Amino acid sequence: MTQTTPIATGSGTGVGSRRTRVGAEGKVRGQLRHVADRPAGGAAHVAVHRSTRPHARILAIDVSQAAELEGVDAVVTGADLHAVFGERVFTGPAFSDQPPLAVDRVRYVGEPVAAVLARDVATAREAAELVYVEYEDLEPVYDVEDALEGRAFVHDHLKPSVVFGDLRHLSGKSETNIAYEYNLRLGDAAAAGSEAAETAAHEFWAPPVHHVPIELPATVAWVEAGRLELFTTTQTPSYVRQSVADMLGLPLSHVRVRVAPLGGSFGSKMYDRLEPLLAALAWTQKREVRMVASREEAFMLTTRHGAEVISSMSADAEGNIVAASADVRYDTGAFADVGPRITAKSGMIAVGPYRVPNVSITSRCIYTNKPSAGPFRGFGVPQVTWSHESLVDELARARGEDPAAYRRRNLLREGDEGYMGTVIHSADFVGCLDAVTEAIGWDTPLDRGEGRWRRGRGVAVGIKAVLTPTVANAVLQLNQDGSATLMISTVDMGQGSDTIMPQIVAEVLGLDSEQIRVVAADTDVTPYDTITAGSRSTYHTGNAVRGVAERMRERVLDLAAARTGSAREDLKLDSGGVLNTATGKRYSIAELVHEHFGARGATLTEEYNFTTSWQPYDKATGRSPKVTEHWFAGAVAAQITVDRKTGRVHVEDLAVAGDVGRAINPTLVEQQLTGSAIMGLGHALFDELVFDQGQVINGTLLDYQLPSVKDLPDRLTPIVIESPHATGPFGAKGVGETGIIPIAPAVANAIRDAVGVRITRLPLSPERVLQAMNQAGVEE
Amino acid sequence: MKLIGLTVNGRSYEVPVDDHELLLDVLREKIGAYSVREGCGVGACGACTVLVGGTSVSSCLARAVRYDGAEITTADGLPDDDPVVSAFVESRAMQCGYCIPGFVLMAKELLAENPSPDREDIVAHLEGNICRCGTYPEICRAVEQAAHA
Repeated sequence: MTQTTPIATGSGTGVGSRRTRVGAEGKVRGQLRHVADRPAGGAAHVAVHRSTRPHARILAIDVSQAAELEGVDAVVTGADLHAVFGERVFTGPAFSDQPPLAVDRVRYVGEPVAAVLARDVATAREAAELVYVEYEDLEPVYDVEDALEGRAFVHDHLKPSVVFGDLRHLSGKSETNIAYEYNLRLGDAAAAGSEAAETAAHEFWAPPVHHVPIELPATVAWVEAGRLELFTTTQTPSYVRQSVADMLGLPLSHVRVRVAPLGGSFGSKMYDRLEPLLAALAWTQKREVRMVASREEAFMLTTRHGAEVISSMSADAEGNIVAASADVRYDTGAFADVGPRITAKSGMIAVGPYRVPNVSITSRCIYTNKPSAGPFRGFGVPQVTWSHESLVDELARARGEDPAAYRRRNLLREGDEGYMGTVIHSADFVGCLDAVTEAIGWDTPLDRGEGRWRRGRGVAVGIKAVLTPTVANAVLQLNQDGSATLMISTVDMGQGSDTIMPQIVAEVLGLDSEQIRVVAADTDVTPYDTITAGSRSTYHTGNAVRGVAERMRERVLDLAAARTGSAREDLKLDSGGVLNTATGKRYSIAELVHEHFGARGATLTEEYNFTTSWQPYDKATGRSPKVTEHWFAGAVAAQITVDRKTGRVHVEDLAVAGDVGRAINPTLVEQQLTGSAIMGLGHALFDELVFDQGQVINGTLLDYQLPSVKDLPDRLTPIVIESPHATGPFGAKGVGETGIIPIAPAVANAIRDAVGVRITRLPLSPERVLQAMNQAGVEE
Repeated sequence: MKLIGLTVNGRSYEVPVDDHELLLDVLREKIGAYSVREGCGVGACGACTVLVGGTSVSSCLARAVRYDGAEITTADGLPDDDPVVSAFVESRAMQCGYCIPGFVLMAKELLAENPSPDREDIVAHLEGNICRCGTYPEICRAVEQAAHA
């Protein structure tokens, strides 16, 4: 069933309530302390000398001038670290291919080559400029075409890491720039396509873009009695602890990773960013070290994969989609990072949320001499959605059929086995599509505009798998006074986990969620959690939190039965405490816990684990009966105008819907949807990291355009669709990425509707729109 | 080093500064005003905004020595009953919250100049600030609410 949550009118602060975000006023006043706000004290400030070459051998590094500068403590090179740690300096989630400082060879312009430790930032940065490196240039691999030609190789051989065990078979593979290849085969796409009544085929391009969270990446590291302490901006504290422990050769107990609230991240602050370098420097130099990346440096730490998608989609005479193919090429840059996962998980749904009996997908993760690409809100899915939602639109238009109606009859429904082999459940694509089209008045007559201006409407639907398998743990302390402390390693970076996880606890235990505090992730204290990413936390960590709260409820009821001599089955816990339903007597949590321990301020502690599983892809077909725990469904509809004189697109009306199962806090869900939409509009209209011969040429905020308040659509409507998920906590699942996925094709489809041109390269800049209109002979 | 006097949120400070030191760094490191934040270092995002005598300044571009004697307001120094702060809280105008203090100060400046701005005025005044979480609709509503308070 599909419905939307009404604004809560009750006073409850549990599931479904629009309670205020934790720390709201503190955020408005700027009182939250972020990593960079930790006073520097006597720490050595770190600055990095970076490669000026896309691909070169390091012949010599002269650090003498830098080391002599007054105020400089030390200058460290990759060779220095390699001498201490050996091959362990190479880290990464998929491949051990990423050194904190280049060893023997540089692989992109901007790669760290040497690190300076100095008394202040200015001195460190000045000294970093005084490092001189002698290079022998190697042939650079600038893009995926270069990479596939195979004249030069970014890495001599592939080195799978121990983190993702399923890549072991790639170990030692040489003479390739393909880090990973995923293939899906169902039926015979080529034959079915050639017999089809209508085929749409294009080459699509989505450029690399950058996350640009306004908080800059920052890490502080020091050694304390043989243990390494890290205070850092990361979404993945559990991963960082493992990665740093592996590099330093320490037991996990000897590495402590702490986070502060993140000032945004969107995928940029995860896996190996500043942490391996700062850990290695603290360990080898025996100094507290500190680095806050500059904005220019942040642009080089990670990017979103630029992706080329060569694709086609075919339909029979009745308009049923009968075949689809996609050749997806993710440009992963110099280091694979999590590219292989993106390649498989997102390549797998490259032909969209449709019933397609014949499918052929090849998805490749390709090394180039550019900054490493990693996870970015959407995890590679927006790039393939750009392709399939443009193709479906063309098939509909070729038939003269309404693009929304055409999608509706081809969309996957509850119980369908998708082409990837997994049955679709609790993913309401049709509900999302219907909601967004209704919201912008899709079926009402459209004034097509006059003079310079032409008006059009477009729609797009998105599908994404939740990250699976993953592990979540929760520890709950119920305090004697009826407040509670929740220990999870989910990192709140603006998505609101510190607000909604207490709402789940409150719902189970009848507590006030305002009295439940989430402990900031600290690997000494908070339990293992795979990562805060992939929209997984509401479902996975949420289930762990629900589980631990239910255990606590049983514990409290057992305790009440024992202390009051009540029959256990007569007791229940609600917002008034424990109620004996037989006698009508009530016992407060405060008195029960106080009497049990004989102490005020005592605590009860419980823990719970929630882990999901999957079935690996069939080797021959790439299909799996359970490739993911569940799917996300989303849709976007847009009404725009195109200025035919300038090519400028103005968004008049935008509706974005996401199926979240159940909104734990509808306000926060709506903010995720509108926030995704605004970020997605940037990707649609102007966001692009521009490279020239491997060098980023717009890596400052003077040059890199981001959506501002000026770019808001005239009307922007978030729509929360709730098709309860059978196994989600109170039916809930995540929403962090759902809204961003279909934005760009919805806008492009609206441009197609307005002025008749199909643009296949992002962003849809005025120049590109104008050029497309000129080529198509559209009059000004 | 030169000793300068700064009044920050009504308190007086004497701080030694180098010629090259940025107002941003002085406020953070010598006065502990951590609500003033670096986002871009080039005056393009607004996270480092402060009010100097009521006028917005990008402190990441401002040399501290030029502000000897200045009266500076930062978001963490606004009074308990500040109507703009209340309006932002009530309008849910925050996600990660990192950029919000800059928006709050820009809103203070706007409302001091123009007590009843329309949506166009608000957009024109705030367009130099970036909220990457995309909280713009809520921020606009907060400014409108503060104007009517």
